[in-house]
Amino acid sequence: MSGRLRIALTKGRLQNKSVELFEAMGLDCAPVCSPGRRLIHELPNYPLDVVLAKAPDVITYVEHGVCDLGVVGKDTILEKGGAFYEVLDLGFGRCRFALAVKKDSSFYGTYKTRRVASKYPNVTRAFFEGKGMDVDIIKIEGSVELAPILNLADGIVDIVETGATLKENGLEPIEDVAQVSARLIVNTASMKLYKNEITDFLSRMERELEGEA
Amino acid sequence: MNIHINTPEGTRDRLFAECLERRQVQSALVELFRRRGYTEVITPDVEFYDLFVQSGNPVPQEAMLKIIDRSGKIMVMRPDCTAPIARVAATKLKHLALPQRLYYDQTVFRDRQAHAGGSREIAQCGVEMIGAVGDKADLEMVAMAVDALRACTLPQFHIELGHAGFYRTLAGRMNMPQEELERLRAAIEGKNFALLNDLLEPYRGEDACASLRRLPYLFGGVEVLDEARKLAGSCDSLDHLGRLYSELSEAGYGGCVRFDLGLVHQLDYYTGLVFRGYVEGAGAPVLSGGRYDGLMEQFGRKAEAIGFAVDVDAVGACLDVETPKLKTVIHYGPDLLARALALVDSRPAGSCELSPCRTLDSTMNLAREKGAAGVLLLDAEGERWLTV
Repeated sequence: MSGRLRIALTKGRLQNKSVELFEAMGLDCAPVCSPGRRLIHELPNYPLDVVLAKAPDVITYVEHGVCDLGVVGKDTILEKGGAFYEVLDLGFGRCRFALAVKKDSSFYGTYKTRRVASKYPNVTRAFFEGKGMDVDIIKIEGSVELAPILNLADGIVDIVETGATLKENGLEPIEDVAQVSARLIVNTASMKLYKNEITDFLSRMERELEGEA
Repeated sequence: MNIHINTPEGTRDRLFAECLERRQVQSALVELFRRRGYTEVITPDVEFYDLFVQSGNPVPQEAMLKIIDRSGKIMVMRPDCTAPIARVAATKLKHLALPQRLYYDQTVFRDRQAHAGGSREIAQCGVEMIGAVGDKADLEMVAMAVDALRACTLPQFHIELGHAGFYRTLAGRMNMPQEELERLRAAIEGKNFALLNDLLEPYRGEDACASLRRLPYLFGGVEVLDEARKLAGSCDSLDHLGRLYSELSEAGYGGCVRFDLGLVHQLDYYTGLVFRGYVEGAGAPVLSGGRYDGLMEQFGRKAEAIGFAVDVDAVGACLDVETPKLKTVIHYGPDLLARALALVDSRPAGSCELSPCRTLDSTMNLAREKGAAGVLLLDAEGERWLTV
């Protein structure tokens, strides 16, 4: 490391929110906003390099220590797991994991093993294991809402923001599985090796987040 | 028939420089261990699954590579070196006077998540000191951990100390159900400040709450011990770490020693001092160890134990080792084998080799293909250097 930290941001909405936060902290994020062809963006007024990645890749890069820090949703952390420090709840990207079923159907209260479709099989498994309940989990890659409509599954475990999509498709959330928001994660070795640099970055960020609150 | 020409995921062929790196680290460590009075133990690559499950080994069962033998017994490829050595020390070595100082240099096998870039084979070099307790034993071990990484010629590294007892003291002061304590521990281990705050919120009236809330931040230089004392009052574990630090500083090791009081992994295994080694360039600790005074008893002999293991290849990857470059090919005439060999033996390893060719022309071609600088011709008249 040449005195610079490297952070991986989850592409898309979390990226925009992260950049807003960085700008509020006084970091000039112009290189990230007009990226061109470069994949590593060096911030001009703070020793931080930014890379953009898909959510699970953020975790991979941080776990391997090729990025010191990462911004990623709690949903991805819950699903993928891994060894890293999860140091800050950034407060944005809020939504929840919920169990949703067809309106007016009864999911519980039957001895029949239920079938649940989800993009997040590990989260789903942990949730029902916590209840001591056996379920069949089906991994769906795209629109999970389709599975109960086509009678492939009795329910879904998915991210719910407003609930509008569920409602339109005759589904309703019946139980919260977990609350989700963006988190700042840190590689375990980087935290120890570059303590001063990371602490400085963290405290700037914390100050900004507290100011907002 | 299709022959598999690939190696299984998580395994690899190690070639040339990678081998040199591994051997260089191994020989530096082994040389140090032997100098300090440690003797080698080699345990089987394959052991009974039960050995690792019953001894409370921290390797989760899904991470063990299992084999079912002909009698139907479940075996595993050794996932850890400490449990087998505790088995040996508790049984075959039970008549030997303690402390016993043992070292190992062998591979452990762990099944990893697919496509995550982890290796299933981890070369470990480590030590166990069986039957010694107290500051002096802990000091010897920490000093050796520092010397081990230093012997590997790593430029930037430090050893970080923690203590299983500190968290236990704090947790013992909390009136919290066991399950919740485990979540608390995991939040501290993961430095998950947000979750930790949520978990502690209902307990904010309790004394230990403020200390637990700060615990993940308590890492860095020796000043964290002072901060911990201010928060939690004096306690045995902090006094212990303080004494170790002053002795280590006295002996010139202070500059390489840091602390992390939030090192609370595998608490049902570790009973006292825990430590890890970090190296610039490695994304995970390359050395890990601690005191596990309860382990030997699982094998029927009460004895304390402390030890550590070095991840040899992780250290090797931080070194810049180059394979030697071939400079000279020797073409020798009849009856000159002895002289030719003497010449090869006198040169740096890998810089010189004998030509198996009959004619000088073929040797010149060979030298060209291999990128050598020239051919040394040995004949009845003497030696002649021919540039390629």
